[in-house]
Amino acid sequence: MIIRVLTSLLVLLQTGLLWAGPAPIPSHEPQLLSLRLSPEDILLVGADSSQKLVVLGIYSDGFERDVTAGSWIHVENSIVASLSEKLSLTAKADGKTRVTAEFGSQSSQAAVRVEGIQRTSAFSFSRDIGTILTKRGCNASECHGGVKGRGGFKLSLAVLHPKEDYRWIVEGGGYQVLSVEAAEPIKPRVSTSSPEESLLLLKPTASLPHGGGMRFEADSSDYETIREWVRSGAPYEEVSGARIERVEVFPESMTLEPKGGRQLLVTAHLAGGGREDITDQVRYSPSNPEVVRVTPEGRVEAVSAGQTAILIRAPGHVASTRVGVVADLVPDYPQVPEKNLIDQYVFSRLKEQHLVPSPGSSDEEFLRRICLDLTGTLPPPSRVREFLASRDLNKREKLIDTLLETPEYVDYWTYRFSDLFRVAYGSTGTPAHAYAYWAWIRDSITENKPYDQMARERLSAQGHDGPSRHFLPNGEAPRPEEIMPEELRVFLGQRLDCAQCHNHPFERWSQKQFWGLAAFFGRISRTEWVSEGPIVVFDDPSGRVPDYGETEDTVKVLHPRTGEEVAPTFPDGTPLSPERSFDPRRAFAEWTVAQPDFSKTIVNRMWGYVMGRGIVDPVDDFRATNPPTHPGLLDALVEDFVNHGYDLKHLLRRITRSRTYQLAARPNPSNRNDLVNYSHHYPRALDGEVLLDALSHATGVPEEFKNSWMGTAPRGTRAIELQVPDLHASRFLTIYGRPTRAIIPERKTEASLKQALHILVGSTYQEKISSPGSSLDVLLKGKGSHAEIVEELYLRSLCRYPTSSEEGDLEHLIASRPSRREAFEDVLWALVTSREFAWN
Amino acid sequence: MSAPIVGRKAGCLTCTGTLLGRRHFIRTGALSLLGMSLSQYLRAESLLSEAGVDVKGKASAKSCILVWLEGGPSHIDMWDPKPHSSFRAISTNVPGIQVSNLLPRISKQMDKLSIIRSMRTEENNHGQGTYYAFTGHRPTAAMKFPSLGSIITKERGPRNHVPPYVVVPGFEGGPREEYLKSAFLGAQYDPMSLMSNPNEEDFRVEDLSLPKTLTPERLEDRRSLMALLDRSYRQRMEIAERFKMDHFAEQALSMVTSPEVRNAFDLTQESEKTREAYGRTGFGQSLLLARRLVESGSRFVTAAGHDLNGWDAHAENDYKHKEKLVPGLDHALPVLLDDLKERGLLESTIVIAMGEFGRTPRFNSKGGRDHWPHCWSLVLGGGGIRGGSVVGASDERGAHVAERRVTMGDLFATIYKAFGIDWTKEYMSPIGRPIKIANSIDDTTGQPVTELV
Repeated sequence: MIIRVLTSLLVLLQTGLLWAGPAPIPSHEPQLLSLRLSPEDILLVGADSSQKLVVLGIYSDGFERDVTAGSWIHVENSIVASLSEKLSLTAKADGKTRVTAEFGSQSSQAAVRVEGIQRTSAFSFSRDIGTILTKRGCNASECHGGVKGRGGFKLSLAVLHPKEDYRWIVEGGGYQVLSVEAAEPIKPRVSTSSPEESLLLLKPTASLPHGGGMRFEADSSDYETIREWVRSGAPYEEVSGARIERVEVFPESMTLEPKGGRQLLVTAHLAGGGREDITDQVRYSPSNPEVVRVTPEGRVEAVSAGQTAILIRAPGHVASTRVGVVADLVPDYPQVPEKNLIDQYVFSRLKEQHLVPSPGSSDEEFLRRICLDLTGTLPPPSRVREFLASRDLNKREKLIDTLLETPEYVDYWTYRFSDLFRVAYGSTGTPAHAYAYWAWIRDSITENKPYDQMARERLSAQGHDGPSRHFLPNGEAPRPEEIMPEELRVFLGQRLDCAQCHNHPFERWSQKQFWGLAAFFGRISRTEWVSEGPIVVFDDPSGRVPDYGETEDTVKVLHPRTGEEVAPTFPDGTPLSPERSFDPRRAFAEWTVAQPDFSKTIVNRMWGYVMGRGIVDPVDDFRATNPPTHPGLLDALVEDFVNHGYDLKHLLRRITRSRTYQLAARPNPSNRNDLVNYSHHYPRALDGEVLLDALSHATGVPEEFKNSWMGTAPRGTRAIELQVPDLHASRFLTIYGRPTRAIIPERKTEASLKQALHILVGSTYQEKISSPGSSLDVLLKGKGSHAEIVEELYLRSLCRYPTSSEEGDLEHLIASRPSRREAFEDVLWALVTSREFAWN
Repeated sequence: MSAPIVGRKAGCLTCTGTLLGRRHFIRTGALSLLGMSLSQYLRAESLLSEAGVDVKGKASAKSCILVWLEGGPSHIDMWDPKPHSSFRAISTNVPGIQVSNLLPRISKQMDKLSIIRSMRTEENNHGQGTYYAFTGHRPTAAMKFPSLGSIITKERGPRNHVPPYVVVPGFEGGPREEYLKSAFLGAQYDPMSLMSNPNEEDFRVEDLSLPKTLTPERLEDRRSLMALLDRSYRQRMEIAERFKMDHFAEQALSMVTSPEVRNAFDLTQESEKTREAYGRTGFGQSLLLARRLVESGSRFVTAAGHDLNGWDAHAENDYKHKEKLVPGLDHALPVLLDDLKERGLLESTIVIAMGEFGRTPRFNSKGGRDHWPHCWSLVLGGGGIRGGSVVGASDERGAHVAERRVTMGDLFATIYKAFGIDWTKEYMSPIGRPIKIANSIDDTTGQPVTELV
């Protein structure tokens, strides 16, 4: 009897049976619908290969829960592969088998193949040593991977430059940011004669004082790997097949319940065509540790509700995965109507995150919002009445179409692009230059020029026409290293300014790539200043003569560290072909427009303008460490945009017609803390120009814009119509943060003391409210009742009727004041200084 | 790792200096790495701004007046007299120190000021030079840098509810205004520009006093009306910005209705005698107002945009310096120093007079001198900075530094040290680039001039 039990046990052991621990019990008992064992298709190559396993339960409440710990996992043939305690499948012998997971009433299977059991992986510096340097955080940007390195020791981020890492380790010396030379003392950080004395071992084990503390123990496998490598002579070897080409993270995004957790799986796709599970070998860092924690083995644990990304660093790569932690589960998630592709993406994400979107906006809210977002101008009361009274079911779509064809649309978007393209007297050298640049933008918007054409026109501009004025900052020809990063930021959403002086601290951009691109702008020259006639901008075939130089010699574009001349080179290393080198900027323009990032950047920008937040935020900061919140949505919008010929109006129409755009701004308890998923409209402060125009509109008193050169602008000119804004001094606009456009403006109308003072006692408000001939003045002299006047003021300023309680309160208040005029002035003041007025 | 409340040396990305303002969860995320909650941090920050961190030695400076000489004064004709200048050298009340004979009054107050004769900067144009003088960095399209005044205001905090950072009278439009700002530090560290000539009869600071049509009672009526109308919006929206705006609205109300702040700007409260002593010019009255403001509690007052501003003498250098420019400075600056001394403020108030560069040692064809950043002079004193000494020396023509180069970063470090601020500190800009508060040549940190502080 006992023998039979023992035999059964032996049989069970031989079949690789394993059962570890009790299952996590969901609190509200949803039904388990199915099980999913990942990966579904397992390939193990070589003697030391292994694969972590994850078992997911798909539940009726829409959640995928990690049930690995409670599952019964067994391998059919444990001679081929066996399961370790840590639920990792290890290769044993060449062959095929299957692994099965069972949990509850469900099961799932995966196919397993083992090959090349004889082979052990050959040593590869960038993989074997590089993995330790990455996993242990040695090359993190806070430590030796930072711009200056630490303690004179510099490593590249995520082993982007393994040969350089090798140099600093094996040759030694101190890293100097702005020079290729090493600083003294030049002492190797490894000692092949006595490996245990190597700095590379003494420091991370804290046997010597180490700012980074202990990174691994002396009895760890990492220690052994490094010691053995040094003992064998610290060779630099690379196995091309071992290089990681792509890092795949499973899942790409996940939702966790409060106190939930889930295991990540990270797979490396190798250059040789193979695959490896590197889940235990990568470095995990959550962007926001208040939302989740991640263990070194890749288990994600919820900390508190919110959204974040987890960055995953492997040698040569940075990948990411998105995590949302739900605040409260919503058991009966409501059906949410969808209008177009945008809603599909946004609402499915909201459902995943158990965030219930706010209801659709009221007509009043929508009307004010769409007018400001598309035209920067408030509608007159007659239009407000008309729209609110209309019963047409399609009135919103018709309104959008109408607004896109108004002259105010052209004014507003000319102003927006003038910001981005930096139209100013200071930035272009003369008022006439600025005007010409502005006029080109305005024409482009008026004819709805395809955006790719606008980009090409500006990038390759020569001569004396509008966009060529961009290349005359302060009236001088620009330096290539200053103008190129601006073009990349504006058109490709990349900020590689840092790479001018050193390899970029966070991203892949190298200094070499920077200067190769800068060289495309290395010939921009201008004709002399003459009293008549504009300055001509052109690419001089013989080279650039710098302004304020000491001689008339042309300068070459030189790499600041090596001192060598740099020829125009695309980032992938391809040099500009000789036939095209007479017009390098045209080639640059074509290359730019062909990049996937080109359309992504403009789509993201336009989205950010009307939605309040880009899918990538900041809107022109695309990098691996700043992933988009809705990559699928961005791609879909880009495809739509490109398929419609880079039509900006079409894009705006697409976005504003969606239900997502039209959601109310008021949050509900479920989505109150959501700042990135578009569960409700995100209000933001109006730009100073738009606010000033709104104020002029609401009071009926236009602003006077004096021009220091040419007198006052015609009466009724609006702030967004100003062609060369820095010619018109305006206290109001300065207080509200009007940028000088000396750099690309990032408008954030921050509250300030000056604004508060101006609102209280400032001249702009006082004058507009009390001015004779203002709309209020006209109303007071007319025959309207108090209620009618109040209604008119509301319609002018807030684009809505007053609520009955507002009516009642105001009626009472006005009646109690001795002076009717003063009472109404105060009402108007309160309306135009309210948050509702100044925000959209 | 342990980290101080406000980071000192360049440290890990999360524990240096200012917090990133953009996304609120990253802000609180960084705090949790420091092991603090937001409320703890805010309390700690306000304590810090009141106490003041004492770095090394005694830090006696509490405020600073920067007298800005726009255009670049000619150093060899003023502070660093040379034989080939048209003006003679005269002795001062400090043995061994000489200045040009254009500065007779200042020569009698030389014990209060020190001259740095070996300033070396690299910007040759007004725009870049001014930006460099105000921030220590060359302007770049990539980012904005905070000004010296903003940094000091941030590190030391406001006093007595008086605006801590003021420009008198201020640049009227144009880009210079921008150079004095706080960049990413925050609008509360931007300067208040008066935009009104203190020498005029109708001088008043915009937005600081109630207009005649608005009584305090009416103001109160308006505010309660606004609260009424805003109420339903507030109930509907929860916007973080509004908390900040509420704070400023309260501050604004107290500034407008209480007399202390308005009095600080009210020059009619000074005697005629005092106003005459400073000189009835825009420049003179600006210096008087600066004294008044630091007396009331301002931290950093820049006298700029005033009428003593044509130092850019590309033509008729000698005439301009002798007749138009230096006399105004020589008249008012000693009066300021004396006034501060009498009121017991000189120990706690740094005074600096400088432009963006010096002028060429040789004349151009129009009898003028052109820009010269390679070796120039400035004067400073007060606030615990030694007076009556000369730092550095130029060569015999005043063209290049012969001894002891001083950079803009060194100057900033000297001022910070006098304030008791750690000059090696770095702030983290929003794009994650560390910014030295005392930025010197070749990306190094400036060092305080120990001969002075």
